Amino acid sequence: MKNYDAIIVGTGAAGGIVACILAEAGKSVLLLERGPALSFSDVGRDHLRNQRLAIYGHNAGPELIGNPRVFVDPEGRARIVKPHELDYHNNAACVGGGTRVYGAQAWRFHPDDFRMASKYGIPEGSSLADWPITYETLEPFYERAEWDLGVAGDGRSIQAEIPRRRNYPLPPVPSSPHTVALQHGARQLGWGTAPVPLLINTEPYGGRAACIECKYCVGFACPTDAKTGTQNTVIPRALATGNCELKTSAVAETIETDDRGNVIGISYFVNSSGTPQRETARAKLAIVSAGAIESARLLLNSRSSFHPAGLGNEHDQVGRNLQGHLYPRAYGLSPTRVFNGIGPGVTVATIQFNHDNPGIIGGGMLADDFIKPPIDFWYDSLPPDLPRWGVANKRFMRDNYTRVMHVRGPVQDIPNPDGRVTIDDAVRDKWGIPVARLSGTTHAATVESAEFMRERGEEWLRASGCERVWSMQPGLILSGRQHQAGTCRMGSDAKTSVTDEWGRVHNHDNLFVVDGSLHVTNGGFNPVLTIMALAFRSAEYIARLI
Amino acid sequence: MNPDTLPAVVDCLIPPDDFPGAYDAGVCDYIEQLLQTDLAEHADLFRAGIEAIDTEALATYNAPFAALTREQQIATLESIESGAVKTSWPIAPAHFFVMLVNTTAEGYYSDPQQGANRGRASWVMTGFEEALDS
Repeated sequence: MKNYDAIIVGTGAAGGIVACILAEAGKSVLLLERGPALSFSDVGRDHLRNQRLAIYGHNAGPELIGNPRVFVDPEGRARIVKPHELDYHNNAACVGGGTRVYGAQAWRFHPDDFRMASKYGIPEGSSLADWPITYETLEPFYERAEWDLGVAGDGRSIQAEIPRRRNYPLPPVPSSPHTVALQHGARQLGWGTAPVPLLINTEPYGGRAACIECKYCVGFACPTDAKTGTQNTVIPRALATGNCELKTSAVAETIETDDRGNVIGISYFVNSSGTPQRETARAKLAIVSAGAIESARLLLNSRSSFHPAGLGNEHDQVGRNLQGHLYPRAYGLSPTRVFNGIGPGVTVATIQFNHDNPGIIGGGMLADDFIKPPIDFWYDSLPPDLPRWGVANKRFMRDNYTRVMHVRGPVQDIPNPDGRVTIDDAVRDKWGIPVARLSGTTHAATVESAEFMRERGEEWLRASGCERVWSMQPGLILSGRQHQAGTCRMGSDAKTSVTDEWGRVHNHDNLFVVDGSLHVTNGGFNPVLTIMALAFRSAEYIARLI
Repeated sequence: MNPDTLPAVVDCLIPPDDFPGAYDAGVCDYIEQLLQTDLAEHADLFRAGIEAIDTEALATYNAPFAALTREQQIATLESIESGAVKTSWPIAPAHFFVMLVNTTAEGYYSDPQQGANRGRASWVMTGFEEALDS
């Protein structure tokens, strides 16, 4: 049996980068992906079955049949959920993971995001903690991610809050009429604004074409490959070395250990011959990069006499602190048309309220939104007091689709140890593997932040000339979904964390977690660039170990 | 099931004006297709709900829904939406009504490959496609 230097589970934002760095360092790598490689036409443009609006299905996996989870609502009622349902907290299952269909906002976290407990104290019932590393430690790896993959933006516009040594390699996306209105409104309020940094080629970069400004960005695949994911950057680089073997539709079951409890490989199911087959691959080192929910599930499912509660779970920490982002949303009716049909649509943000808000722990970034297909707009964006049908509803869609301005943003999640992933032995996927069971909610302080940010969104829209403003504010729910994080947090104490600062699972020499699971807190920003920066940092460390 | 009922209902939900109503946009075809696929497990209840709309119209106005005036049709749908029905329903009326409104909007506003939004009329109406066309 071949003994790889490393096996990596997952090809998303983190796994793809780790594979690339290890393969380019001459290490032999087996890269497992539970989903297939999806072409542009595989992902398609179905307005009702995509990652943004998934009413009857979705477009980046997993398949609706055979991949259940169990969701426990705040009242304690458990039910089986399908992958396209909101309570499944899906990200994606395909080569590139979530980066295949994401919106590609490429924010660095704020320096204070790494020291939340020191800055704010620890609210009762929360597991708020500092990261074991600082922004300054991660800064060179942010830069590496921005330049290796290609980020468009203007670093100078946020230099005061989020210092950097080098600007982005690509200029920001162009302004739209709503950009100008929101910039004007922010100036009236004395707020700073910045172009939204995006992993999108605004000019040709890395051998790929520039964005053609179509209306299908978040939730869909890019027709020109200008949207940057791991599937069109680091994974092809890894494969080009000849050192990396990619197996698709390969579903990890357990991390194998020897008779002393040491990690020796991974068992997984493949279906290449039409009949399900279980294979085991051996490696010097295993890296779990399956996303915060599936990474926790794999560790918890890797039970043995040495590790009866799963790997890394001696102190019942694996799967806890599941967090994502609540998203306060505000809408305003502009007196003039602000829609020009030029995508991606997200252009301008303010990071005025990420920290130092009176009475609030953290805060968040606010930005305009991606272009919404009309049915997405109909479901998401109409005023709550507008009739849902009849002449008035049609008239609003007709007159105001191009006049509504959108402001939304991710709120810093205050982690709750009871918001968690466990496994449910009574419910199995089609391979017979116990599924993830999700329960709990975010901490109540997160909802207070969301309410504060909702008010800021309304304020911004009014100052930007909107005659009529409305908003939606999330309640006390579990957050996770596409920004899922926190379930194998880094730290120096094995009693309160799962890995060390490199992602190495405590008390193991050769088992690593590298993905959003490591985030101690999840910032008031889209998390993907932080996942990527951590992956570069851990991968360089791991390459030196093997 | 009275074949005239659903067309009359969807045209109340999204009425014709300068732009097509839901029926002309193909929404009934969209819903029929959905009932045979993604909503197959709810199809019997959905069809029973459509029949119940007619029963409600007959009980109130002594005429089937499609034969009512527009004002009577709207009043009938409003009472179903609020759950204030006169007859015995096979499905919670307000719950059924949400499904009816949502599926009608889905057909009308989503991509024509779904079976409705003929000629991309709603995309031109909203301006979603105008920038490309102009």
